[in-house]
Amino acid sequence: MSSQRRVPIGDYGMIGDTRSAALVAPDGSIDWLCLPRFDSAPVFGRLVGGEEAGCFSIGPDEPATPAGRRYRGDTATLETTWTVDGGRLVLVDSMVSEVTGRMLPPTLLVRGIFAQGRSIRVVVQISPRFGYERKPPGRIRRRNGALVLERAGAAMAITSDAHELLTPDRSTSIEVRPDQPVTVVMSASQYGPLLFVPPSMATAEAERDEARWQRWADTLITGPNHRPTMIRSLITLQLLTYSPSGAPVAAPTTSLPEQMGGARNWDYRYAWPRDASIGIAAFLAAGKDREALGFLAWLLHASRLARPRLPALFTLDGRPAPREQELDDWPGYAESRPVRIGNGAGTQHQLDGYGWVLDAAWRLTQRGHHLDSETWRTMRAFADYVTGNWMMPDAGIWERRDGRRHHVHSKLMAWLALDRTIRIAEHRGGAHRQLGAWRVAIELLGEDIRRRGYDTEIGSYTAAYGSRELDAALLLLPAIGLEPKDSPRLTGTIDAVHRRLRAGGPLLFRYREDDGLPGDEGAFLACSFWLVQALAQTNRRTEAENLFEDLLRFGGELGLYGEEMDPATHHHVGNFPQALTHSALLQAGMALND
Amino acid sequence: MDWSGWATYGVVATVVLTAVLVGAQLAGVTRLDIPLMLGTLFTGDPDQARFIGFFAHLGFGQFFAVFYGAAFAELGQSGWWMGALFGVVHAAVAGTLLVPLLPTIHPRMATERAGPDSTATLEPPGLLALNYGWSTPLVTVAAHAAYGAVLGLLLQPV
Repeated sequence: MSSQRRVPIGDYGMIGDTRSAALVAPDGSIDWLCLPRFDSAPVFGRLVGGEEAGCFSIGPDEPATPAGRRYRGDTATLETTWTVDGGRLVLVDSMVSEVTGRMLPPTLLVRGIFAQGRSIRVVVQISPRFGYERKPPGRIRRRNGALVLERAGAAMAITSDAHELLTPDRSTSIEVRPDQPVTVVMSASQYGPLLFVPPSMATAEAERDEARWQRWADTLITGPNHRPTMIRSLITLQLLTYSPSGAPVAAPTTSLPEQMGGARNWDYRYAWPRDASIGIAAFLAAGKDREALGFLAWLLHASRLARPRLPALFTLDGRPAPREQELDDWPGYAESRPVRIGNGAGTQHQLDGYGWVLDAAWRLTQRGHHLDSETWRTMRAFADYVTGNWMMPDAGIWERRDGRRHHVHSKLMAWLALDRTIRIAEHRGGAHRQLGAWRVAIELLGEDIRRRGYDTEIGSYTAAYGSRELDAALLLLPAIGLEPKDSPRLTGTIDAVHRRLRAGGPLLFRYREDDGLPGDEGAFLACSFWLVQALAQTNRRTEAENLFEDLLRFGGELGLYGEEMDPATHHHVGNFPQALTHSALLQAGMALND
Repeated sequence: MDWSGWATYGVVATVVLTAVLVGAQLAGVTRLDIPLMLGTLFTGDPDQARFIGFFAHLGFGQFFAVFYGAAFAELGQSGWWMGALFGVVHAAVAGTLLVPLLPTIHPRMATERAGPDSTATLEPPGLLALNYGWSTPLVTVAAHAAYGAVLGLLLQPV
């Protein structure tokens, strides 16, 4: 096995165009970019595919010291800086998101290189690959000043205003002068005409897009505290929204390991209804109703065929997620195998999803949005499904693969689904045939949860009926409303989860019991933010504030969070960045601002 | 051409076509919702859109029935099987040319190039409307074959 480069997962920055996203390492290398969309094969896949999976690197070609990275203002433009003897080198990376109505390709990656103080030599290497077979370009041409790389129906054009000619799979040293920045542009096309974009035009489009992001962020409502962090999370959620359908992508990556060298490596380039619903809440709270309604529209569209059942996840088009496959010859991140594409959780029965969706519908109703007849019919169908199926075991929010259980969190979310549906029905007024059945069901379900889901010896709700283990998802209890805010059962559960699932500092494991999978995993970051939210909602604001401050330190210089964190090293593990974590951060921040 | 037949049976055939599509949608076979897609050309309210879209679809159906009637007259014969065959060709043209073009003129339909400023809420259908479910092409072919069969059966080849 060749020695692999190993950039800490949390050190990657993300740029994107809301159709796909690239991960940029601190050394200026794009190690991950799937084209034409999030769930396509990577053209730069070195992150988990080894050197033969390709990358697009730009960095100093002389001794240099990293001098930090930042997003420019509240935008999606990433700036990486190095100091060299007598000067500074700045790399500005962005992808143009808004191309509608203009003669621009759907993928336009713009990389600006600026020398300050003196001329600086920079090395550029572009090594694209095509398909999961990681094939190099089959045809290489130079046309109209562009380097054109093709294989089958996919093609990309590289344009640059450097004097030196770029050649694929070879390092090219170029000189960047202070008065003459260099821009390297990549445009891509899949089964369509390739557009050559001159560097000056690409730079102008990137600047226009950057201004658009700033205008969007300026109108976000976040409350007085932690505004920069929350804006970064909202921008990240927006970057992880696939604009052509409105699908929320869980993460732009596949198979970043939950444990270094381990096998818990999953493909998250799909859309979970749960994430859409949490996204609706986050964007509504931030005053972005249009984005929230976009998620609802996707949710209705995607769930249409399976209704009244709500599948656990969908592709970006709303189809069932593809069958899970292992890429045997991909080495994985830090030799964490297997690398998987597709996701096997799509066929699971997860009861909690209904609660998230109906809670989102209730929030929209509260906000004054009228649910049209199709939407309300769908919500009623979901509530009817919950009424008839809440007593069945499920795979739970954590998508366990070791069999169905009566997860208490799932039951709580089923209760939430019925509660919110009844509220919507009462708000709409008029007669609703099923209202009586929902009321009976919620009474029975609430009684069942209180009787079978609570352990008096531990003084806490438990992970599952009959279990004495705990589940950090129970921290959502205060937001659900089954128990009053001053209930000893509620505070007991928060304290027990905090005590027994603690992973050091503000970190929490989601559970500690054997889940039937080999190896271990890190602390689950969303759970830590749920703890902050639970404490804030039960009038323990000082504790909540302190924990939140501690957690914000884990976001690194760019404010991005992955799925999990190694409690020993405090390195991010799991797919990165993750929408659920950023949504949970926003929920926590908003609870603190309430 | 059988103009009186066209005036009567064009409506009948389009109602049959619409019924097959709506039935398939309600049965969970496809997400394709033609009345909604057409109606949202005119309004953003989904409930009103379905009503407007239904009548718009009747208009389109009547328009296309002219070509069926003209073809039967040109060939000097008609029949349900011939109409169904025309319907299959009609579905192929719709799925490969007309439907993929819809996002370019539809104010409330996203395109594959849509960005974050997009206010569109309808997902682009894609080739053969496959984004609306794997079975959508089959449903489309079946609906148009039924449309053609009705016209072939009822229109006179004059």
